[in-house]
Amino acid sequence: MKLRWSWLPAAIFAAPCLLNAQFDFTLDGRDVQVHSFASQGFALSNVNNYLTMNTSGGSFGLTDFGFNASTAITDKFRVGAQLYDYNLGRLGDYHPQLDWAYGDYKFKDWLGIRGGKVKTVQGLSHDVQDMEFLHTWALMPQSVYPLDTRGDTISHIGADLYGDIGVKKMGSFSYTLFGGKRPNDPDGGYIYGVNTMSHVPAPQGGFMYITGQTKDVTYYGGPVYGADLHWATPLKGLLLGASYMVQDITTTGHYTQPVVVPYKLTTVTDKATQFYTEYVYRNLRFAGEYRSEPKIVQLNEPNGVLVQGFQDSRSGYVSLSYRFTKWLEIGSYESRYIDNWPTIHSDPRNHIFDQAVTARFDINKYVDFKIEEHFINGCAIDGVLDHGFYAAPNPNGLAPNMHMLVARVGYHM
Amino acid sequence: MRNIQTLLLCAVVLAVCAAGTASAADIKVIANLSVGASSVSADELKGVFLATKTSLSDGSHVEPVLEKDGPAHEAFLKQFIGKTDTALETYYRSLVFTGKAAMPKTLAADAEMVAYVAKTKGAIGYVSAGASTAGVKTLEVK
Repeated sequence: MKLRWSWLPAAIFAAPCLLNAQFDFTLDGRDVQVHSFASQGFALSNVNNYLTMNTSGGSFGLTDFGFNASTAITDKFRVGAQLYDYNLGRLGDYHPQLDWAYGDYKFKDWLGIRGGKVKTVQGLSHDVQDMEFLHTWALMPQSVYPLDTRGDTISHIGADLYGDIGVKKMGSFSYTLFGGKRPNDPDGGYIYGVNTMSHVPAPQGGFMYITGQTKDVTYYGGPVYGADLHWATPLKGLLLGASYMVQDITTTGHYTQPVVVPYKLTTVTDKATQFYTEYVYRNLRFAGEYRSEPKIVQLNEPNGVLVQGFQDSRSGYVSLSYRFTKWLEIGSYESRYIDNWPTIHSDPRNHIFDQAVTARFDINKYVDFKIEEHFINGCAIDGVLDHGFYAAPNPNGLAPNMHMLVARVGYHM
Repeated sequence: MRNIQTLLLCAVVLAVCAAGTASAADIKVIANLSVGASSVSADELKGVFLATKTSLSDGSHVEPVLEKDGPAHEAFLKQFIGKTDTALETYYRSLVFTGKAAMPKTLAADAEMVAYVAKTKGAIGYVSAGASTAGVKTLEVK
């Protein structure tokens, strides 16, 4: 593992020099653009292991890289694809995946269609949440953009209808309607969490996990559809938006404990609604998002009894950042996740509150470095699914308060 | 004495700011001769440079071209795009890394911009008001 990450910082710094000449070429008379990125992170927490990394001992298990190629076949038709690879603690394991690959035909500015494997447009940053160089933060607000389940939610295999409509003095609207199938990330946090999740509240009131693999999930996926609309208002710099998504997910596999029997979890209802805003004034940026996702799932217990689980999660964040110079940006956010809204919000088993402070240094046009401190309260371990705090990496249970330093260096071209 | 020093300092700062900033009157929007339109609205221009519009009202397909930096670039962004140079780069990267658009061509100086726009079908860019624009058309911004 040491060898795996140790070459990355050198590669990250060397790559821009090596690739400084624009890596574009011509194929059959068409310009093909090639772009790439990579990042390496380090996380150190005082207690708890977060996002399956061994953060309490210091972890470099936060690595990703990818590259894409795209070209315009005609003035209206574009094609492209991106390969992506990552390791996040016990997730990813450097198995490369096709991140997106699609054809995009634009009939008019107000109507286009893209089909293939498409990044799902939701909220301010869903489709670009993993591009660290686009954001102030080393870790995006995990309440809305959980890194561990990125591969399970970031794209769909299907199609988008999209367009931009200017309304003169009212500003402009951008819309996306999407539909398709959720892909299956076998190395992602969702399957890992289902496979290893078996937690109980401790009698003394703390948290306790029964660790170890309890299931062997072999499939996750299902249909998903939704819409996003955002409005660039006449007030310069102010954006307002809303998203809606419905998904019907089926998870299948086997229990491995206490008996080996089939396991199946299906969605009864799962509808997510999101509202968001962004205001930019010169070098100051404010952003805020709110997401509500009530869901009911049905699963069979090892004894064959069908049970239903209910969860009404609410999440959101507000953030503020200011770019002082071309090379320095400072920011902070307050991110809140409540696993089940009808129950007690102040219970750390039902929430994760995360306050972060970040400094971003743009070393040059292609390389950035971020250092960020997190103050996290709660682990939200009472939910249907885990949210960053998993059983297996925390065999001694979880403390309700932790702080964590995250440093991340990245390059893009 | 202190007031005079303060006034002098303010004057120097204002002079430096004025020298380093070009206004909209100091730039020209130029296009390849294949572009049929002779004028463009500010909204259209913003849409083209934010990759939400790929054609002008006359139906001409257009592709934006940017200068790397300089007073004309700064003035253009401030007047028509409403984003800083850093914010615009971030915006383009978000499109490029989701496959929604290509990174626009970026050129170092007015002369390079004019030469590129002159030879590239549908290209639309901007230069300082004093730059020679032989071989391209100047679009009126309404």
